[in-house]
Amino acid sequence: MKQKVLYIVLLAALLLAACGGGGSAEQPVVVRVGKAGSPDTLNPGNAILANSYTIFELVYDSMYELNLDGSFRLSIADSAAVSDDGLTWTFKIKDGIKWHDGEPLTAEDVAWTYNLYKDTPEYPYLNGYYTTYFDTITFTDNNEVILTLNESIPNLESQLVFLYILPKHIWENVDKLEYENTEMVGSGPFKMTEYAQNEFVRLSANTEYFGTQPKVDEVIFQSFDNQDALVQAIKAGQVDMITEMPSTAAASLKEEPNVELVVGAPLSPYVADIIFNQMDPENCPEDGGICSGHPALLDKNVRLAMAHATNKQQLIDVVLLGLGKPGLTLIPDGLGVWYNNSIQDYAFDVDLANQTLDNAGYVDADGDGIRDMPDGSRSLTFRMNWPSDSIEAPRMAELLGEMWSAIGIALEPSAVDPDALTAQCCPAFDFDIMIWGWYSDPDPSSLLYVYTTDAIPYGSSETGYSNPAYDELYVKQQTELNFDARKDIVWEMQKLVHDDVVYIIPYYSAAVQAYRTDRFTGWITDQAKVELSDVTSLLVIEPVK
Amino acid sequence: MNRTRIILRKSAWAIFTIFIVIIFNFFLFRVLPGDPARAGIRDPRLKKEAIEALQVKFGLDKPVINCFETLNPIKLGSCTIDPMETQFFIYVGNLVKGELGISYHTNRPVADVLAERLWNTILLIGAGQILSILLGVVLGIVAAWKARTSVDYGAVTASLIAWSLPTFWLGIILLFWGSTVGLPVGGKATPGISTYPLIQQWADIAKHMFLPTLTYTIVYMGEYTLIMRSSLIDVLSEDYILTARAKGLNSAQILRDHALKNAMLPLVTVIAINLGFTVAGVIQIESVFSWPGLGSAIFEAVIRRDFPMLQGAFLLIAVTVILANLLADLTYTFLDPRVNVE
Repeated sequence: MKQKVLYIVLLAALLLAACGGGGSAEQPVVVRVGKAGSPDTLNPGNAILANSYTIFELVYDSMYELNLDGSFRLSIADSAAVSDDGLTWTFKIKDGIKWHDGEPLTAEDVAWTYNLYKDTPEYPYLNGYYTTYFDTITFTDNNEVILTLNESIPNLESQLVFLYILPKHIWENVDKLEYENTEMVGSGPFKMTEYAQNEFVRLSANTEYFGTQPKVDEVIFQSFDNQDALVQAIKAGQVDMITEMPSTAAASLKEEPNVELVVGAPLSPYVADIIFNQMDPENCPEDGGICSGHPALLDKNVRLAMAHATNKQQLIDVVLLGLGKPGLTLIPDGLGVWYNNSIQDYAFDVDLANQTLDNAGYVDADGDGIRDMPDGSRSLTFRMNWPSDSIEAPRMAELLGEMWSAIGIALEPSAVDPDALTAQCCPAFDFDIMIWGWYSDPDPSSLLYVYTTDAIPYGSSETGYSNPAYDELYVKQQTELNFDARKDIVWEMQKLVHDDVVYIIPYYSAAVQAYRTDRFTGWITDQAKVELSDVTSLLVIEPVK
Repeated sequence: MNRTRIILRKSAWAIFTIFIVIIFNFFLFRVLPGDPARAGIRDPRLKKEAIEALQVKFGLDKPVINCFETLNPIKLGSCTIDPMETQFFIYVGNLVKGELGISYHTNRPVADVLAERLWNTILLIGAGQILSILLGVVLGIVAAWKARTSVDYGAVTASLIAWSLPTFWLGIILLFWGSTVGLPVGGKATPGISTYPLIQQWADIAKHMFLPTLTYTIVYMGEYTLIMRSSLIDVLSEDYILTARAKGLNSAQILRDHALKNAMLPLVTVIAINLGFTVAGVIQIESVFSWPGLGSAIFEAVIRRDFPMLQGAFLLIAVTVILANLLADLTYTFLDPRVNVE
């Protein structure tokens, strides 16, 4: 009997739920964004996932903001001045900026925050990479921040853009490593209102923001565990905008009335790469090196032939359903001016590829359809591995297998657990070919580093490529203060690694996002990069009348 | 006397098993490849210094246990160091103090995260189990009572199909259907609902629970129906049922007073075991419907090599399974007097 009562109660609750939903008259204007995944932590120092940085961008301010055309604009400072030697930067902080709790934001907060990032090696990103060149940071009574560098660098903006300014009066009293920061106090255009980890982040407009004020009252980021649910959610109108989706869903969303699909270069581009193990066993890294790569891959002719035998357009059409562009090097088109668009890619030409291999002495000696090493010691059969969590790699591997079999190269494909793959990769160099990829920083320096000899023992170099000329250029671009001169060096470096066929970059995938046309208007879609969850869009969108 | 001894013996075994699980849990994750300090992070911006600092922060710079620096790859170390300076004994020491550690991924205490997630999972499983047990038992009884009629065949076929449906597939199908009739496709509640009156909040949660609960109910109902049916058919062929019939009792009396009590025994076992396992088994349902429960927490922790989270979650699951089994055993001693006679 008791069970029966319970059942009726539950049924009643469900019915009630189905009928309920009416609300009060004065509804705030809420924009709902669907996200696959959620922030890992709201402590900016500890955060790793992009979903966290999306929130930081809205709640915090930085010295510079990244525009959607790839340039930077000064944010909390009125002016930035640099000494002639390029070592001392003076930022005049705007007067009257307030934290969300009403306290004033001053140069002292900025200096304190920069020192915090600089002195906390446990902060994986904000310490190591972005504060490398910081020497001292002080502030003056005149609301100025004085930052001295230990080397003059050309890309300080890109170093400061993610260093979110934190309120000293709160952070000096907490444990900087363990603080969860769920009640974030920032100074940005949106305030933290409610946070439920792995469920949603609810932000409300900061009506006292010093810059453009949002036209919506609230932004809610709702987390979904899978992208299919995300697509259904926007179709059903449960969210107003989504920032990712499976390629297969793009076509169906295009058909959907009231949904607009936006395709373009991503704000933080992901670059898929086909990695050749070029680690010479003679230079094998002492700490952890295994260096079992196939010797044929050390020969540029083999890599060149494979590049000529790779039909990139087919890869894009099949793997990305057309939503991407052919790739050249690790520096993607999404990096705007840094991308060397003058490079002529290797033509898809199977005959030329075969001829290259013939000329280099790789012939099929035993008649099994697979070419052999010139000395006949082993066939051109390569292990090909990819991370098992990759959606794109299995299809790509299958296509590459077909393409390369046309030039007498065989593959042994296998999906590997990402951790095991890291262990095989670098600095172990215990593989032949891998399919993997990188996320790019707005500045080209971080991915250019991947090609350097220095990166080999650190596990960042996945090819083992080592070219003194390239290394020299890398150091040079790091300190070249003239923008155009630095651009030329960066372009030259891309040319070098493209000529050496260090990687085959199959494509640069596009950002594919969608918004509902019947809810909000004004989404920014005409810029070089597409990011609807960027502050630029969220500040200007208005409800559809 | 006999019963007390059985209870004591079973409880002792349960405690011993939990102890083994604690040890196993620790080593299981450390023989797997992968470095938690850089799991999921593939970025040239992550410097070697940062990785080392993270290793110190997580305590991964300490040897795993005496004589072993690391287990994958196996690297031998000093055997004469203070055991309390090894990862294993620090872990055990913390457990004794009731601490499960800090999650590498979220930087939050594991116990907090687990507690949050556990309630959501219990809510989901609770509703699903109650519904599937009720429906399964009723359907099973009807099928057994009408054995070898079209009702029975229909029930058995439907149950077999339901039981063998892949959970995630059924979930996705229901998600597609649900989104067209206005049901929420993900989450536990509408974000921002917390400012509304309590009754509206509950209604909102119930609405969000509908699809995952429906998926759960369909999958488990089939199993319960089949077990109930076959067990009841067995019992109904017993001589004492014939006797009851001969005494002139009506069908309802026979079922309620004579048949069901015995027929329920196998079902109790299955339910108890399911209760334990479903804590982990809802991973698929939770991932499809973005339900913020234990399952999705475990999934995330595996990807991130979040050892403290995994250890905590696995310990919780193990303890639940063991306790559920213990409970089933103990219930048996009351339900079935034969268990006491050995």
